[in-house]
Amino acid sequence: MIETHELSKSFQSYKKAPGFSGAVKSLFHRQMIEKKAVKNFNLSINKGEIVGLLGPNGAGKTTLMKMFTGIIVPSSGKVKVLGHHPYDRSKEFRKKIALVMGQKSQLWWDIPAMDSFYLLQKYYEVEDGAFHDRIDELSTLLDVKDLLHIQVRRLSLGERMKLELMASLVHQPEVIFLDEPTIGLDVMAQENIRQFILNYHKRHGTTMVITSHYMADVEALCQRLVVVFSGEKFFDGNISDFSKIMGHQKVLSFQFKEALNPTDPFFEKLDVRWSLGNKKLDIRIPEAEMPALASVLLNKYPVEDFASEKMPIERVMQLLMEKHSNQGGKRI
Amino acid sequence: MSHFSLGLAKWSVTIKTSWSNLLTYRLNFFLQVIGPSLVFFFIKYNLWWAIYNSHQGDTIKGMTFSQMMNYHVWALITSLIFRGYNSNSLAEDIRLGKISTYMIYPFNFWEHQTCQFLAFSSLQIFVSSVTFFILFAAGIVIFPTFSGVILGLSFSLLAGFLWFVIQYVCGLMAFWLEETWMIRVMTELVVNFLSGNIFPLELYPAKLTVFLKYTPFPYLAYYPIKMFLGQNDEIILPLIILLIWIGLFSLFASRLWKKGVCNYTGAGM
Repeated sequence: MIETHELSKSFQSYKKAPGFSGAVKSLFHRQMIEKKAVKNFNLSINKGEIVGLLGPNGAGKTTLMKMFTGIIVPSSGKVKVLGHHPYDRSKEFRKKIALVMGQKSQLWWDIPAMDSFYLLQKYYEVEDGAFHDRIDELSTLLDVKDLLHIQVRRLSLGERMKLELMASLVHQPEVIFLDEPTIGLDVMAQENIRQFILNYHKRHGTTMVITSHYMADVEALCQRLVVVFSGEKFFDGNISDFSKIMGHQKVLSFQFKEALNPTDPFFEKLDVRWSLGNKKLDIRIPEAEMPALASVLLNKYPVEDFASEKMPIERVMQLLMEKHSNQGGKRI
Repeated sequence: MSHFSLGLAKWSVTIKTSWSNLLTYRLNFFLQVIGPSLVFFFIKYNLWWAIYNSHQGDTIKGMTFSQMMNYHVWALITSLIFRGYNSNSLAEDIRLGKISTYMIYPFNFWEHQTCQFLAFSSLQIFVSSVTFFILFAAGIVIFPTFSGVILGLSFSLLAGFLWFVIQYVCGLMAFWLEETWMIRVMTELVVNFLSGNIFPLELYPAKLTVFLKYTPFPYLAYYPIKMFLGQNDEIILPLIILLIWIGLFSLFASRLWKKGVCNYTGAGM
């Protein structure tokens, strides 16, 4: 369904020294910088999968999305989506895909969303009956029936996002690309959007590619995870495998009755994280060593509460990013 | 449904949506359409009043002050018909990466822009008709002959397409330039001087007038005005030249788009 082979994209820009003198110098001489946003990327996504693209800012996730949808042209390598070269931008290809951009609106700002939907109905050549059925189904699922005839600019961000999703589904695409669909939304709104995406996938089995900064999105939606660092694929597999990537480790969290001394030699050799004015402690530890350590801490220190959990995906990602930047951006 | 009727439905719904969008802020729209042309007309009126007052004799190159004003009233009406469109929003859409959305739709960007232009122009024709009837009722302008109306409107609509394609080309420069307003301002200035919008071409040296005939400029004011005035001793050759320029600019715009899209980075997404 989506295939890439050694896919790469470079962007060129100019370096300019700061200040007025820099501006004058740049009139005569400018140093060109080439940034490789995506490097030799190989990926294969099957029909009906929900795949999460994860990575820090500037990792190349959105550049990949832009190449998948044909918005930008790759510098080298191959990309095929639904048997089409996206950069050819054939109308047949465009009828089969949808892109939802959390940071950009595809709805016309000054008119009600329903007018934009009518426009999209004609663009995607959707029959009247099917169009009204879909609008009815989607507006019920998203609970936005009352918002369809209100000027888009007067809606809240969460309401607008629901309508953006509707707009991208009017033509029942075969592949949906969701670029940070929950960005800027409150927790309730994020949960609503996630539930809707899951329900929609269950009903229609549409292939979805999602980028997000929120791990909760990825954990809730994606069966498969692709982690990108500096334009390269670092991990490709299911989420449970990803959380084991740092070894079989757990996080032990302790809450103490009083603040402890973090320089206590006991903690020196442990991977610890202090918070709440040194009253809360998180320790990353191999699963096998957990009972012994817990017992020592419970006996030695004034523990008020404690809990253990498997390494959250967020923490794994954070550790990977730290490790990645410590190695000067080299592959881990 | 046939391929043609599906295409037609796309164009008609885009034009209707553009109308809704334009008329959401009616006062804004009318100020945008009428404002610049009306201000420019009063500047020209004062300029020519001063020139005729300081000039010895009643005519300049055979034109009296009232003939000159009649020419400029038609310059006002023709500019209302087709000169209001500008590529400001197009350039901004490219620069800020807003065209990404249109690159996903199975409706080409140029089609979308052309629909917006047609929606804008149809409203402008209404505004210019109202302006004409007000000026006619005030006795400032005389009613043209039937052939004058047909030829004047035809030339104005074609000139509108030429103006749109020129503006489209200016807007596409945003693929390479951070700001395109200076290109638009320079284009406006050159067009105003060489199109006959400020000075009728009869006032220019004869050699320059002949040369200009083969450039796109006089078709953006002088010829449409002359057609409305009934001074249509030449029709076929100007029409052919106008059509050739529309074709050439369209071809250039298409090439520019293909090249520009390769440079496009989809900023801000």
